[in-house]
Parts: sequence; structure tokens; C-alpha cells
Amino acid sequence: MTAAIRLVDVSKRFGGVTAVDTLTLAVPEGSIYGFIGPNGSGKTTTLRMIMHILLPDDGTIEVLGRANAAAARDRVSYLPEERGLYKKMTVRRLLRYYGQLKGRTLGELDPEIASWMARLGMQDWADKKIEALSKGMSQKVQFVASVISKPSLLILDEPFTGLDPVNAEALKDAVLEIRRRGTTVVFSTHDMGTAERMCDRIFMIFRGKKVLDGTLEEIQAQYGFDTVRVRTAGGVEALTGLPGVEAVNDYGQLQEVRLKGDPQRFLQQLAARGAVHHFEITRPSLHDIFVRIARPSAAEAGVPPPVMA
Amino acid sequence: MTNKALIVAVSEFTTLTRSKAFLIGLALMPIIMAIAVGVQKFTRENVDTTDRRFVVIDRSAVLYRSIAAAADQANQSAFEGGRQTAPRYLPSEQSFAPDDQAARAALSDRVRKKEIYAFVEIPPDIVDPGSSASLTYYSNHPADQSLPGWIGGAVNREVLNIRFRNAAVDRAMVTRLTKRVEVSELGLLERDQAGRIKAASTVDKVRTFVIPVGMMLILLFSVMSGSPQLLNSVMEEKMSRISEVLIGSVTPFELMIGKLLGSAAVSFLLALLYVVAGVFVARHYGYADAIHARDLAWFTLFLGASVVMFGSMFISIGAACTDLKDAQGMMGPAMMFLMLPWMTWFAVLNAPESRLAVGLSLFPSATPFLMLLRIMLPPGPPLWQVALGVALVTATAGGFTYAAGKIFRTGLLMQGKAATLGEMWRWVRSS
Repeated sequence: MTAAIRLVDVSKRFGGVTAVDTLTLAVPEGSIYGFIGPNGSGKTTTLRMIMHILLPDDGTIEVLGRANAAAARDRVSYLPEERGLYKKMTVRRLLRYYGQLKGRTLGELDPEIASWMARLGMQDWADKKIEALSKGMSQKVQFVASVISKPSLLILDEPFTGLDPVNAEALKDAVLEIRRRGTTVVFSTHDMGTAERMCDRIFMIFRGKKVLDGTLEEIQAQYGFDTVRVRTAGGVEALTGLPGVEAVNDYGQLQEVRLKGDPQRFLQQLAARGAVHHFEITRPSLHDIFVRIARPSAAEAGVPPPVMA
Repeated sequence: MTNKALIVAVSEFTTLTRSKAFLIGLALMPIIMAIAVGVQKFTRENVDTTDRRFVVIDRSAVLYRSIAAAADQANQSAFEGGRQTAPRYLPSEQSFAPDDQAARAALSDRVRKKEIYAFVEIPPDIVDPGSSASLTYYSNHPADQSLPGWIGGAVNREVLNIRFRNAAVDRAMVTRLTKRVEVSELGLLERDQAGRIKAASTVDKVRTFVIPVGMMLILLFSVMSGSPQLLNSVMEEKMSRISEVLIGSVTPFELMIGKLLGSAAVSFLLALLYVVAGVFVARHYGYADAIHARDLAWFTLFLGASVVMFGSMFISIGAACTDLKDAQGMMGPAMMFLMLPWMTWFAVLNAPESRLAVGLSLFPSATPFLMLLRIMLPPGPPLWQVALGVALVTATAGGFTYAAGKIFRTGLLMQGKAATLGEMWRWVRSS
């Protein structure tokens, strides 16, 4: 496997806090790689180190085959979580400026700008000032700014946050199109559904350490078929007090149950309480896995430990 | 110099020259000069021409006629081309005993009712050379000095005439004998290439005052219009997280150098416009030869040094602060450095060779402005002082740029709280 990004034993500390702890990671070239993790777990710090915005305290980072990440700067684009745009600039001037800083000429940039603006339905806004744009439009402009230089590696920090479904769909299509052209895409997200649907591989960081890394199947396989999805006439109340139920994720019409024990016996006990409309033995969703890892323990959450009889 | 630093510089220059601040900066100096000239003209033309009616209590019994005659003469010259340009003085005479307070109170009431403007008592022995008596002027316009000044002048002229007459001395003769000897200020004689001596020319205040001060002010305005903008620019990029995007494309040093270059280009453009306008004005008034290429070379050198020095200072402040309130707190001391020459140039102009002038012109933040002023004021400072000033300002500009590079690199990505001076110092010292 050729790696677009390779991190070996990378650590980063801020004062006494270790934001990233001996992280080793390889992002395959041409893949869509999802970074997940709770707030403050070290995702953005990792992305910033890959972008050479921050320097690691320990370990090595290789980007696009270059040991010095700065050397690959023109082939890597970055969409930060906090959108950075000059309010007084026109969209066209801003895109040209950001593109030129990536080493592109105006002759190369202008057709790209026109193409992307048309694709995202913004062709009439090219000569408007950024301050006149809505939040969603600004986000799309920021995205265009990160792709017009035709990068080999595109790093997106929370690219879909704050977008309405139509714009999110447009951006998702654009990301897939860029990957088809051969660009490696790394993006961080809190939306587990998006990560499940879009990513070839998923990486989860928690408290600065890698806790998951692999394809969705590989990750789910670590947890086995310990989950059932049920839809019953009694709803979530029907699950109360049933033996073997470790956790319930209630979606209203559907409940996802983490089960310890025999699913058939559980089905019998559930059916005894009322009609069961849907019963599916499955692997845990990424959302469930995320919550299992990231939910604070009872001691951390300030809940007193159960009294043993 | 990298291509990316130039791209940043061009963007910075374009943004700054399209901003309102640039247009204000461009117009600032002409506006201030126009306002100064306009205010002078306005105050000259808009004199209070209200009649000054006043009562004279002349206990000397010899002065009122002279006051009335002087008033008639003054009133005739109060009109120019049919337009009144000065107030008319309209005296009337009254008498009462020196201890008559009721009469004074009645006159005070007339002043309050605006029937008269003031009243003045002349003591009986005022013409006696041994007397220490003075005029007593009563009015409710303490700020107005025109009427008491005019009365004092008219009374003193006549009192002197009477004293000379009583002493049997010819006043005209005394005036001739006591006439002051004037001083004609000339430059030095010069020899041309053939050894012929050229006569010294009269000292021209335009050459020795207006042009040096004008060049120094152009330098100051050019720096003030460009460098402080860097603080806003850096803060906008930091607060909007634009800096994160930029640092993903350029190194912090390239970004800072690009910004400095862009700001310097703005200052140079402003200076060019001002200097070209100044040269046109100088040519119009026959002073084209008063602006020398040597002075322009010094001007260019000092402008370059000051934009680097002050630009680095403002970049550091912008990178170290996280909001406008923090920036305003740090701007104060920085602006003091920039305003130092503005507050002290007059002292340097009056005594360019004094210890104070030498000391101030060797203080790096003031050197570009005050050393330029001293260079342009003949005979100019000794070469060692100029060399020392240039060396100090160059070293300071270099040091500031180095420190700004360190502060910029770290501060740009720091959010949440402004850096303390101690933290900034640690950043500068870090490898």
C-alpha cells in the first residue's frame, strides 16, 4: 500500500496536556479516510501537524512521500474547521489569491474557478464580496478554495458542519468526484452516518490515542454481532428489565439494543411482552461504537458506583 | 525573496490601497494643511466687528481728546473696500469722584445691559513719570483683549508724548536715536569651479524651515498611513482563522515578509504622491532647486527603515492579541514611539545641534524623522552622527523583524487570550 500520509509515533503536547500520544497511522493513497473522535480528542491537532501548521514534539510525519511535510505544501489543500475568508474581498479575488499561494497561475485557476462556481450553483456570486454571502455559500467558497489548486491530498476538517441537506449533498458529490480524479481525501466529522457511507477507512482518536483504524467492516468485526434492532408495540418500555440488555439506544420508532446472551431467548422474552414488528441481529453501528468508546465512565461522569448485593 | 511572499505582498497592497483608511491617509496631509490655512484665513476674515462703546473717566483731564481722536482714526481704517474688517471704537466721557462706587455700579449695569462694552478709569497722575498708577478697565468680557489692548496703546502713545513734551525733549529725535539695528541673515559665500567668489544669499525661511519640515512630515504621514494597518490585517486573519489557511500554503516568515512588503509599498506610494505634489508646488513658487537628490535618497532610506521597524512592531502586536481591546491596550506604547518625533521636532528645529536634538535623532524610533530633519537643516549634522543613526536604526529594524518573525509564527495560531510581554519574550528567545 502506498501511503499518502504516514505518521509514526507522533506526539504533541500543549503545556502539560498531551493532545496526541504516540500516534501511528497510514492513509492509503486515493482513499477517503475518515477521522472521528469526540471534541478535544486530538483530531484537529493531528490534521494541523499533517499540514505542517503545528510541528510534532516527537515522531515523524511523511506526506505524499516527502519526509518534510512543508515540501509537499503546494500539493496539499486544507479546509479548516473555522472558516477563514476575507470579508471585503470578492469571491473571485479570494479564490485567485488562495490558488496562487498554492503555486497555480491565473491561467490555470480561472477555468477551475468558473467550473467549480458553476458546479456549485454560484456563478452569479463570483464578483460579490464575501460579506454578502450566506454561511452556506461561504462554506462552499471555502471548499472551492481548497480544491481549485487540484491537490493530491485534500484535508477537510468538519466539511459538512452547518450545511443544509442540499448543500451537504452537493459537497459530498464534489468530494467523491475529487476522489475519482485520484485525490486522497481525509476528513474529520462528527456525523457517523457520513463516515460510514463515504469513508474507505475510518480512524478514531480518543484522548490523543488511536482507538480504531480500519474499514467499517474491520471495525465492526471487532465487536461481533452483539446488537439487535427491534421495533415493538411497547416501544422502549418493552425492554425495561429484560435480562441480557446492556444498553439501549432509543430512536423512537426503533431501538438498538446491545445484548449479552442468547438473542433467541431475548426474542422470546420480548415477544412475551407484546407484538414484535422487527427483529434484526446485526453488528453495532459506528455511532454505537463511538459512544461505547467515548461515553465517560460512571466514575468520570460523577455517578456513584452500583451497590453490589 | 520567494514568489509566495510577493503574492502576499501584492494582495496586501491591493487590499490596503482599496481601503477607506488608505484614501483617508492619502487625503490626510493635504486636508490638515488645507484646514490650517483655511482656519487662519477664516479667523482673519471673520473678526468680531461689533461696535465697542466704552466710557472713559479721565481724571488726568488731558487724555480723552487723544483717545477720541485715535478712535476716529481707527474707525476710518476699519473699512476696506466698503466692507468692515474691524470693530469701531466709540468712546464717551463721564466723570465721578474716585470713591463713588454707586457711579461704578451704574456703569456696570449699563455693561450688563449691553448699552456699553466696558468703562475705563484713568488716574490723575498718569502722565507723571514717577507714578506707578495704572488704567482700570471694567468689563464682563475678560477673554476679549482687543479693546483693553487698543485703549492701552492709545493712552500710552499720548502719555509718552506729554512726558517728552514736559521734559522739553523732541520725540521725533528720540525715535530716530533709539531706532533698532536690524539683522540681515545671509548664508555663506561660495566659490565656483573657477575660483570666483559668489555673493552670499539671504536666508530663505522656505528653504530652511518649510521644505525640511515638510519632508519630515511627509515621511511621518507615509509611515503612519501604512504600518498601523498591518495590525488590523494580522488581527483579521487571526480572528477569522484565515491564518490557518495561509499557513497551510506559505511559511509564517513568507507571510510576514509579504505583509511587510505590501505595507511598505503602500507607504512608498503615499510618499511618492506627496513628494511629487510637493515638487510641483515648489516649482510653482520657484523653489525647484531647494529639493536635492541627496535629500530624496536619505528620505527613501529612512522611509524603508521606518516601515520595516514600525511594520514589524504592529505585526507583532496583531499576532499577540486576540481581540481589539487587547490590541488597543498594546497600541498605546507603540504609538508613543511613532509620535515621539511628532512631539519633539520643533525642539530639534530650533536647536538642531543641541544635545537634546542629537540624542533624540539617535533614538532609533525617532531617527528616520529627526535625523532627516537635521540633515536638511544647514549645515547638517556631522557624518558620524548620521552614520551612527543609520546603523542604530538598521540594527533596530533588523532586530524588530527577527522578533516579529518569532512572535508572528507562534502568536498567529494562538487563540483565547492575548500573549503577555513575558510570553512574547520567551517566543523571541525560543529557537
